[in-house]
Amino acid sequence: MKRHAITLTVNEESHQLHILPNRTLQEVLRDDLHLTGTKESCGEGTCGSCTVLVDGQPTRSCLTLAVAMEGKKITTIEGLAQGDTLHPVQEAFVQYHGIQCGFCSPGMILTAYALLQENPNPTEKEIREAISGNVCRCTGYAKAVEAIQSVAERR
Amino acid sequence: MRLPPFDYAEPKSLAEALTLKEQHQEAVKVVAGGTEALVQLKLRLIEPRVVMNIKKIPEIEGIEETAEEIIIGANTSLKTIGRSPILREKFGAAAEAAGLVASPTIAAMATVGGNLLQNTRCLYYDQSEIVLKGLEKCHKRGGKTCLAVKGSTRCFSVYQGDLAPALMAYNGKAVLEKKGGSRTISLEDLFSGNGIQPFTLDPEEILTRIILPKPKGTSGSAYRKLRIRGSVDYPLTSAAAFMVMKDQKISEARVVIGAAGAAPKRVETQLQGKTPQEADLNAIADQAYSLSEGVDNLTMPGAYRRKMVRVFTKRAIQGAIEALKGGK
Amino acid sequence: MEKFSYIGKDMKRVDTTSKATGEALFAADLILPRMLVGKILRSPYPHARIKSIDTSKAEQLPGVKAVITAKDTCGDRWGVFKYTQDQQFLPTEKVRYVGEEVAGVAALDEDTALEALSLIDVEYEILPAVFTIDEALAPDAPQLHEFYEKNINIHVKIDVGDVEKGFSESYLVREDTFSAPEDAYFQGEPYAVAAQFDQAGNLEIWMPNAGPHLKAKPLSNVLKIPLNKVRVRKITIGGAFGGRSEIAPADVICAFLARKAKRPVKIVYTREENTVSTRQAHSMVTTIKTGVDKEGKVIARDITCHMDGGAYSSTGPIAVSVPFLCMEQAYRMDNVRYNGYRVLTNKPIRGMYRTHGRAFACGVDLQLDMLGQALGIDPLTMRLRNARQTGDYTPTKSYVASCGMTETIEKSGEQSGWKEKFGKLPPYHGIGIGCNSVQTGFPMGIRGGSQAFIKLNEDGGVTVITGIVDNGQGNENMIIQIAAEELGLTPDDVQLINADTEVTPSDPGSYSMCETFIGGNAVRLAAQDVKKKLFKIAAQFFGVNEEQLLAKNRKIFVAADPEKSMSIAKAVRLALARNESISGEGAYWPNVDSKREWVKNPYGQLSETFSFGTVIVEVKVDPETGQVEVLEAWAAQDVGYALNPKVIEGQFEGGFTMGGQGGMLSEFLQWHEGRVLNPTQLGYLVPLAIDMPKINNIIVETIDPNGPYGAKEAGMSVAMSAAQAYSGAICNAIGAYIKEFPLTPDIILKAIEEKGKS
Repeated sequence: MKRHAITLTVNEESHQLHILPNRTLQEVLRDDLHLTGTKESCGEGTCGSCTVLVDGQPTRSCLTLAVAMEGKKITTIEGLAQGDTLHPVQEAFVQYHGIQCGFCSPGMILTAYALLQENPNPTEKEIREAISGNVCRCTGYAKAVEAIQSVAERR
Repeated sequence: MRLPPFDYAEPKSLAEALTLKEQHQEAVKVVAGGTEALVQLKLRLIEPRVVMNIKKIPEIEGIEETAEEIIIGANTSLKTIGRSPILREKFGAAAEAAGLVASPTIAAMATVGGNLLQNTRCLYYDQSEIVLKGLEKCHKRGGKTCLAVKGSTRCFSVYQGDLAPALMAYNGKAVLEKKGGSRTISLEDLFSGNGIQPFTLDPEEILTRIILPKPKGTSGSAYRKLRIRGSVDYPLTSAAAFMVMKDQKISEARVVIGAAGAAPKRVETQLQGKTPQEADLNAIADQAYSLSEGVDNLTMPGAYRRKMVRVFTKRAIQGAIEALKGGK
Repeated sequence: MEKFSYIGKDMKRVDTTSKATGEALFAADLILPRMLVGKILRSPYPHARIKSIDTSKAEQLPGVKAVITAKDTCGDRWGVFKYTQDQQFLPTEKVRYVGEEVAGVAALDEDTALEALSLIDVEYEILPAVFTIDEALAPDAPQLHEFYEKNINIHVKIDVGDVEKGFSESYLVREDTFSAPEDAYFQGEPYAVAAQFDQAGNLEIWMPNAGPHLKAKPLSNVLKIPLNKVRVRKITIGGAFGGRSEIAPADVICAFLARKAKRPVKIVYTREENTVSTRQAHSMVTTIKTGVDKEGKVIARDITCHMDGGAYSSTGPIAVSVPFLCMEQAYRMDNVRYNGYRVLTNKPIRGMYRTHGRAFACGVDLQLDMLGQALGIDPLTMRLRNARQTGDYTPTKSYVASCGMTETIEKSGEQSGWKEKFGKLPPYHGIGIGCNSVQTGFPMGIRGGSQAFIKLNEDGGVTVITGIVDNGQGNENMIIQIAAEELGLTPDDVQLINADTEVTPSDPGSYSMCETFIGGNAVRLAAQDVKKKLFKIAAQFFGVNEEQLLAKNRKIFVAADPEKSMSIAKAVRLALARNESISGEGAYWPNVDSKREWVKNPYGQLSETFSFGTVIVEVKVDPETGQVEVLEAWAAQDVGYALNPKVIEGQFEGGFTMGGQGGMLSEFLQWHEGRVLNPTQLGYLVPLAIDMPKINNIIVETIDPNGPYGAKEAGMSVAMSAAQAYSGAICNAIGAYIKEFPLTPDIILKAIEEKGKS
C-alpha cells in the first residue's frame, strides 16, 4: 500500500500527514491528531457518535476515508467553542441537561449545530428528525431537544 | 473496525475513472458516499485491490431537466433528491423515498447511484467474525449453504434499496458507461434477481445517470416503507406506485414492491382505463403478495413481512391516487 | 424544610461542560506513552473442549509484544459470590459460548494485533451445546459445569404465609405464563480498558465501571498483588445500567498483557464485542398464579420463573431475585411463593439489568389488569388497592420507612386524565399503567458501606474524597451539591477526587442507584464532621454556642446576628494557627440485615429504603400493521427528595425510554445456535429521537427519614415500570392480552388477528 501525502484542515488548523489510504477520518482524528472528542459507538455509521462537519455538513467520520479529505474543512467538537466560550448549542446542552454520560454528545451537538445553521427555527419534529441518527442511551432525547429548541428560540 | 489494505484512486474525470475500471475490472471497488462500501470493507465482505473514489467527478452530479426527461447524475445525494423541487413536483415517490433512507446525515452523504446498486442483505451475511466464525460459508460468500434457510440451494438475501422501486415505477432507465461506450437499460434490467450477484453490470461499467421520462398528463406517485423505528433502518417492506390519469380514468399505472426478494418486482395492475376501486387495489395487493418472498433473515419474520406487502402496496396506490387528486 | 442554596435546585452539572467540548476522556480515548494495542481471540464455538493452543507464530510476528493464554494465569475460578465461582478469565478446559475469551495479544498497532490473532492456532473438540432453557433442562442435556446440577446454577426459593390457603380463599384465581427474550444493555460507550504497571509493580487500570472498589479486589486476587497496588482509576464512563459492575475478562487480560509486555496496553471493544462479550439481560419465562378477593386485593401469589443465564454466573443471584423483590416491595401480599431458577446455556453471560425482567413485571401487572377486568375494576384502581404503604413490612421482611406509591398512582392518574380515558377511547387507542419499586442498594457485607474524607485548604476551599462513581447519571454533581450545601460553600469551592482506588475509601458502587443514599450520606456526614470542627472554632471566637451558628455563602455566622461572621477560610487558618490539622471523615453503612442472603436466607431488611414509581402511557395501534404510536407518557416516582430536579427528570426520561419504548417495542436479541444475529446498532433497535412521545415527569417527595435530605434514588422505579405501562396500554388498545414480549408489530398483529377470529 502506498502512503498518500495529504493536508488535513481540522478546526482551522493545517496538518501535513503521510497516511495509508485504508484509514478512516475517525481513526486519523483520534489516533494521529489526538482529537478524541469524536467517538466510535458502532463503526458502521448508524449511531452518529463519530459525526464531524465536513465543509459544514454532518458526516460520519467512521465511513469516510481520510485520504479523500484533501481540500475539505473539517470541524470536530473541539472546534466549536471559541477559546473558553462555549458555542450557544454546547452551552444549551449543558444548561438544559441534554448530556448525561456524554458519549453521544459531541456527535449530537455538531448535528444540532448544523441543523440550526441550515434551519434557524426548526419545529420540534424537525429537530427530532435531524437528530434521529444520533443514538442516545441515557437521556431519552427529551432534554437534548429542549436544549436545541432554546437556541432556536433565541434567534 | 479496521479497513483491509487497498490502493486508493481518486479520478478527477469520468474518462479517468472508466480507464481505471477497464484496467482493474472486478478488482476495483467504486465508492461515492461510502456509506455502504466502508461497512462492506470493514466486515471483509469485499477486499478489492483498489478503492476508487468517484465522488469528485463533477459530470455525474446534479439534476437536469430536458423537454422529455429528467436526468439525475449518479453522484447526486439523496438529500438533494429529497429536496429537489422538480422531483417533488413530478416524481414525488422518488423524493419521498430519498427522504426515508436511513437518517438525515447518511442521506446527505449517500448517492442515488450507490443506493440503487446496494448489495442485497441478510442477517447471516452482513456480520463480522464474532458472529460467523465457526459456521459454514453461505452461498453469497462463495460457499455451499444457506444459513437462513436450512438446506436451501439458493440465496435468500433481500434487496432493501428505497430508491429503486420508486424510480422503476417511473420506467426509469440507467446509463451504464465504460471506456469506449455506453448503454442505456431499464432499471429492471439492472437487477439479476439473484442474491449472490444482484446486478447485471459488466466489471468495466460505471452507472453514471438515471433517466426518468416525464409523465404525460396528470400524474401522482407515492412510496411507502415499513420499518419499526422512525429513522435509520432499512425497509422491511416497501412499495411504490405511479399513476397517470386522463379523463378520470387511469391511463398508466405501475406498482413496484421492494424488500420482497433479491430485486424489486413490478406488479401487474390491470388498471388501464379504469377508475380504481377497492377490489382493484385488493387484486393488486394479492398479486404483490404472490410475487413476494420472505424468510426469517431480517429483523421481522418473513411471514409478517409478506403480509405487510399487501398493506403497503395498497397504501402506496392510495397515496398515488391522493397525489393525483392534488393535481400533480 | 430548611432553605437551601444548592440542594433541590436546578444546578448545571459539574461534569457536562467537558463532555460538551469533547475534552472528557473515556477509556478508549486514553493515550499512554509507548502504549500497545490489545486484542482478544474469541471462541467460534458455543461449547468445545480446548485441546491445544499454539501461540508461537503469533509471538514471532514482528510488532507483537505479548501473547497470553490461560497458562499465563493461575486458572482460579472467580465469581461474584463464593457459591458462584465458575468463571476463569481465560478458560483452561473448555469454552462455553461463542465470543468467550481464549487468548489476548498486545502489539504495536491494530493491524498487527489482528494479524497476530489470526496466527493463534486453537484446536477445539466441538461438544454438543444447549441454547434454550428447555434444552438445558432436558434429562440428557450436556452440562456446562461439573458443579451445577441440571444446568441450574441458582435457585431462589421464597415462601411466605400460606399460598395454597390463600388461593382457596380467593374469589378469583388465574394463572398465566409470560415470556421475553434477552435484551442488551447497549451502553453508548463500547467497553474499553487500559492498563499499565510501574516499576514497583503497581497496576493502574482504567475501564468503565459501576464501582472501582469492586473491580479492584478481584484484580488483586487474580494478579496476586495486594489491594494497595491495584489502582482502578477514575475515568469518564459512558453508561453502565447494571452491566459493568463486576470484573471482566478484558480487565484481567489487559492487565496480564501489560505486565508481560512491560508497556501500557489498551483494549477497545467493537460494538459487537460489547453486545456479545460483556453482559446481556436474561431472557425469561414466568408463570404467575394470583388469587384476589372481590375488591381486587391480592390474597396469594405463586411465581415460577426460569431465566436463561448464559454460560457463567455473573450477578446471577441478584438478577434472579430482583424482579421478585421489586414486585413484593411495590404491592402488598400476605401469601407469596417464588421459585426463581437461573438456567445455564451456551450463550453469552447475563447479569442484572436496569430494567430487570420485563416478562416478570409486565406479567404481574397485566394479570392485575385481567383480574380487574373480570371483577369490573379498572387497572388504576387495582394498583391502588394493592399499593405498598409506609410502615409496611414486605413479605420478605423489609421495613418500608417511606412510601409514596399511592401518591405516584394518584398523581399520574390525575395528570393523564385516566378516569376520562380508560374504557372510553376509540378502538386501537389505549391507555395503560405500570407500578414498581426498587431497592436502594442491597446487603454487600464488608463492602456495603461508603466512607468519605474531606480535605480543607487554607483558602477555604475543600476537596471531597469518595469512592462514589458516576456512570453518567450525575453522581459527581450530587456529591458537590451536598458538600457545598453542608459546608456553606459554593460548588466551585468543592474539588472532587472520586472513584480512584489508590486514594478513595471503599464505596459499594452505583447499584440500584444507591450512591445517593449510601455515598451521599457518607459525604454529608463527612461535611457535617468538618462543619462541627469549624463551628467549634467560630463559636469560641464569637463567644456563642455552636448551635447558634450557620454556614452559608462561604461564611460562618451567628444566625441571630449575621454581622458576626467570619469566612470559612479564616476558620480554617485559625485552626492551623493553633497547630490543629483539620479535615472531615464520614461513613455510612445502611441499616440492612447482614444475615440476609440472596439464596441461603432471602429474608430480612434488604435495603434501608425503597423508591416507588408509576408510569402511564397512551398509545395508538395501527391495526393493519401492528405498529405502535406512543402519544404521551406520565412518569411519576417517589424519589424521597429531589436533590436536583432536572437531573431526576433526565433519569426518568432515560429510564422510560430504555425500559418502555425500547424494552416493550423493539429491543430483543435474535439468535442462531448461540450466536447473536443483531449485535450492531443497526440490528438491535434502541429508541430514536423521532420515536419518543412527550414525557410528563412527576416528582413525588416523601422525605425519607434516612436518606440525605430525605433523598432516595433518582429514577429506577420509572425505568422498571415503564414497560408495564406500555404492555397495558397496547393490550388495552387492541382489546386482547399478549403474553410474549417485546410487543413488536408482528406479535401485536398476530394478537389482533387471533382476537378477530374468536
